[in-house]
Amino acid sequence: MQPRSLLRLRLRDLAAAFAFVSMAVSGQLPAPALVVVGLGVGLALLGRRPFGSRGGLSALVLALMGALLMGAVARGMVDLVVAACTFAGLVTTQRLLSAPTPATDAQVHLTGLLMVAGGAALSGELLYALALALFATFAALSLGLGVVEAATPAGEVVPVRAVLRLLALGLLFALVGSLAFFVLFPRLSWNVAGRRVSPGLGPATTGYSDTVRLGGTGTLKTNPRVVLRARLTPDPGLERLDAYWVGSTFDTFDGTEWSSVGEPLGSADQVRLAPGGEGVLHQEVELLPAYGATTAVALESPSLIGGATAHSPQGSRRTGLVRSPSGEVRFAVRGTGYSYHAYSMPPARQETRAARVKDASLFLSLPPDMDPRVSALAARELGTTTEPLASAERLATYLRSNYRYSLELPGEVEDPLAHFLFERQEGHCEHFATALAILLRTQGIPARVAAGFFGGERMEGHYVVRAGDAHAWTQVLVPGRGWVTVDATPEAYRAAQPAALLAWLTRVYEAVDALWRTQVLDYSFRDQVDLLRSLVRPPTSREAMPEGRLRLPPARAWAAALAVALAVYATLRLLDHRRRRTAPHAATGLLEAVERELRRTPGVWREGEPLEELAARLRVSVHPLAAPVARVTRRYLEARFGGVSLADGEARALARVLARAIEARRQADAPRSVTTGR
Amino acid sequence: MRPPRRLSVTRTGRTYLVVTVGVGLGALNTGNNLLYLLLGLLLSVIVVSGVLSERCLSDLTVRRLGAEAAHAGEPFAFRWALSRRRGLAFALTVSEVGAPLQGEGRLAALSAGAEQVVRADLKAPRRGPVPLTAVKVTTTFPLGLFAKSRVFPLEGTLLVYPARGHSCEPVPVSHEGPAGLVGSARLQDGTGDVAGLRELAEGEDARRIHWLKSASTGTLLRTEREREERRSFVLEVDPTLPLAALDRRCEELAAQAQRLLAEGHEVGLGAAEFRLRPAVGPGQLRRLLRALALVGHAPLAQEEAA
Repeated sequence: MQPRSLLRLRLRDLAAAFAFVSMAVSGQLPAPALVVVGLGVGLALLGRRPFGSRGGLSALVLALMGALLMGAVARGMVDLVVAACTFAGLVTTQRLLSAPTPATDAQVHLTGLLMVAGGAALSGELLYALALALFATFAALSLGLGVVEAATPAGEVVPVRAVLRLLALGLLFALVGSLAFFVLFPRLSWNVAGRRVSPGLGPATTGYSDTVRLGGTGTLKTNPRVVLRARLTPDPGLERLDAYWVGSTFDTFDGTEWSSVGEPLGSADQVRLAPGGEGVLHQEVELLPAYGATTAVALESPSLIGGATAHSPQGSRRTGLVRSPSGEVRFAVRGTGYSYHAYSMPPARQETRAARVKDASLFLSLPPDMDPRVSALAARELGTTTEPLASAERLATYLRSNYRYSLELPGEVEDPLAHFLFERQEGHCEHFATALAILLRTQGIPARVAAGFFGGERMEGHYVVRAGDAHAWTQVLVPGRGWVTVDATPEAYRAAQPAALLAWLTRVYEAVDALWRTQVLDYSFRDQVDLLRSLVRPPTSREAMPEGRLRLPPARAWAAALAVALAVYATLRLLDHRRRRTAPHAATGLLEAVERELRRTPGVWREGEPLEELAARLRVSVHPLAAPVARVTRRYLEARFGGVSLADGEARALARVLARAIEARRQADAPRSVTTGR
Repeated sequence: MRPPRRLSVTRTGRTYLVVTVGVGLGALNTGNNLLYLLLGLLLSVIVVSGVLSERCLSDLTVRRLGAEAAHAGEPFAFRWALSRRRGLAFALTVSEVGAPLQGEGRLAALSAGAEQVVRADLKAPRRGPVPLTAVKVTTTFPLGLFAKSRVFPLEGTLLVYPARGHSCEPVPVSHEGPAGLVGSARLQDGTGDVAGLRELAEGEDARRIHWLKSASTGTLLRTEREREERRSFVLEVDPTLPLAALDRRCEELAAQAQRLLAEGHEVGLGAAEFRLRPAVGPGQLRRLLRALALVGHAPLAQEEAA
């Protein structure tokens, strides 16, 4: 196979690969399909096409896979759109691994188009745009090379670089033009079928679970994935919120693990957790697919959660909320993501609106066989302090001062709390929270552990919370005030701590993602109207307009339009002038360069003398410059009249040759100084 | 009025348009913005395709170089010269418009400045003068979705000679040479230089007797001369024959003429009032073929007449 065809096939295979990626980023395709297509693309890129001579057998296998997919759809195991997209991927793989022919090429490109259309129906991921652009790039380059190859007579060389250069330029315009079409194409319907929520690539990594278990392994703090997005009303206007977003509270510790006692209550549209009132903080919360849990999260301390909707690739539906006795609120319907409203009491009002605690003894229970050194430590550090909040603050200060924060988890140990307090003396937020709660309980002060997130970064009017913001802290029961948060974890380690480069990349990605969501996914007819309105800017106040007067755009709009029209006219005139102007022949440049060089040697060239006459005269007179001038003259005449164009840089090279010859002659003619030695 | 460009959709282009319409309907029906984005890309590619193909066809100059010799029913080399002042053009195919000529020339890339020759193997179905009115340059660049053509009006004529083949007809009687001895192997003596003497056989021409030698030997001896191979033939064709029969006749005569000329004979042509004087050589063959191509189609030129 010709190298040029190999390049075209590689581009074709890459186009098909990225078309499949545009569907795969939705995270909905079955894993076996991902493996099969991945292997197929890999083999194709390596030039291995095992189906070349087994077309019938491979088609039979393909039909069998199609039947299996249809069966899965009929039994409700796979969504119809997902099955269709999967089948398109399998068809593409079969074609990729078949013998390359023009028909196969066309089929690969067709299935590629169908796959990117399927990808549009499957997800709204930002990566889809990247995959779409790469698919368009590689497919266009492959198609373009194929067109030129077909027009190349046998034995001739395809000008690959020139073709790719022009194609790349055209593709750039196509991508820009696609945005123009996207903006201007009239939206005649609302987006009812777009799958805004998809699992995306990779598992949910929030680390949020039903229990808090000490030990184990993991480095969640470095994970920058956004799990929660919330719009706050009234808007605090802070760049960093640094607030506690509570999800669950735990009352029972068995020495290793925190859990909650009690059975969940029935499902309801909204759940009231504490008395509300005026001045509460409204949160419009969106839990993203990376969250991966079913617990609602709200700013501390939540008073009301409701209006929940569960989102899944199949659509969105309202969901009830289930409350557990510990105050945790869960969604009744499992979804990939959720949106809901939450109201929280601002910190200043928590004291007066505190919920009553019926059974404080639950928050005094200690794990069986607890190490006696724990209570001894608490007693020693508290001394005579008995007031709950002061005790909690004192112990928290002790922990922050004497224990180090570490993300390197110790693994499974028999008594994690004692191991943390008396041996390792370093741990993460769960160790600190547990230690404080248990130390308080040993002194008869009710306390519990809360789990959720700490942080909140402002982004495009929202606050986002990352997986690395997952956090645990302690709540102490203060008579008359209710549960008050006391965090024993050193302050610097409460929020996410991603690497600097990773954090920067994440910020860039999220900024682009925010633009993608607001300007692409949510673009609508209303935005088009706003865009037109912003261009025209009509008077907004009807009262300001005198009765009967024609409503016209303001004077500045007319002036701007006139300026634009003049600019366009001038540009067109300039372009037209440039188009009509005859470009100087490339050989003229060589002639001018040669004449410049000849002027440097007086007496050789007579101004206005044609180059060929000069060459003839020098040859007759056996002039030292005869040879270089003859060479330049011959090349000039060939280029100017003989149809043999000058190569890139050839004119400069010829001029240099002449210049060197002139310089050599000048040095030869210069009087030589003679030195004599003794 | 003729549009400046002609546009046709290729097979790949038809599929592309169907998918584009499908994506457009899907976008309108569902309001899915990603489908709108894809639709925008597909439409934009169509626009860019139109711009790039126009860029290939604009600023183009075509010159017809023609063919050396074209025989009906077999491919012959035909050439055009293409040039442009600036920019590059890709994937050009060149063909004659409005002429019954099959085939097209292909050119991968045309760079600015230099004239490039495009060669094509064309095929004409039958002999005769083929009026050439225009040259069509087509490109499917950049993506092969559409074939855009530009027609360059360029008058000319291609003379297609009769198809080459074998002649089954007998060679006509030559007008010059030993016509009286035709038919008898023994009487077909040559008229060239003296080759030798032999005894006169019964019934042989007494004018060949070498009297001096016969007198010296007392036996009638005759001279043997080398045979003179070059003879002169005038092939006749009736221009009033029906067209198909005339074509067949011209093909026969062309084959005969080619064979006779290859054997070194003089060959001429007669067609009603038209007379082509017998002569030898490749120049005569070209004159004969030209006359045979024109018989029945156009009046033969006066300078061809004998």
